[in-house]
Amino acid sequence: MATALWSIVVVLIACVLGSFGPIYMKRGSNGLVFKAKALAKNKNLWIGSMFYLGSTIMFIPALKFGEVSVLYPIASTSYIWVSLLSIKLLGEKMNWVKWLGVVIIIIGVSFVGLGI
Amino acid sequence: MRTSGLAILLIILGTFLTSTAQIFYKTGADRLSLSFVNMLTNFYLPVGVFIYILAGVLMLVAFKHGEVSVLYPIFATSYIWVMLSSRFFFGEAFNMHRWIGVGIIVFGITLVSIGGNKKKEQAIESGEVV
Repeated sequence: MATALWSIVVVLIACVLGSFGPIYMKRGSNGLVFKAKALAKNKNLWIGSMFYLGSTIMFIPALKFGEVSVLYPIASTSYIWVSLLSIKLLGEKMNWVKWLGVVIIIIGVSFVGLGI
Repeated sequence: MRTSGLAILLIILGTFLTSTAQIFYKTGADRLSLSFVNMLTNFYLPVGVFIYILAGVLMLVAFKHGEVSVLYPIFATSYIWVMLSSRFFFGEAFNMHRWIGVGIIVFGITLVSIGGNKKKEQAIESGEVV
């Protein structure tokens, strides 16, 4: 099965969208209170969940129309987007060791994708 | 912000639970039928959802005690759990390529954690003179 171009595009978009999920969940975790009212009012949790849900809904059909050896590594670029977004939106700091780790993870995922 | 060891452990546990939940979903979906008996006894799907929610709670707590750029890559441990479950639960054949890939992923995650705990940066963040 060849990988349809549209599935690559959809996976990429889903993955960028999905990367906003953990960022908002992190924000939501800062004032975390495990009470029903507080949780319901925690906007960041809601926004984060929407991003997660949206990206999952996009992913699942796209995965059926493409090979895992191509789509897995593309999906794993989420580690790059999350790292970049964490700098911009959360004020976290990256360094070369962390970036190297991210690149190595992507290489590892590519191996896994090729092995299936 | 320093990423605590506990936060890292919680993410590993949470990822393990998420992978477990997916096995429950798959099993539940495979066994799903529209019979009355099935509706009463097919507990796989609700159990899967419960485990998933539990995992979410653990991960939320973890995020409170660490950086996302350190903790999110740990989600990649899901590849380990999927590999183990496919080998031991679903009897799929041993695949060298995949195991090497998993090893590389673990190495990458370790580097990210090390990078996230560089003492000099934490000292700068907390205002000490370096």
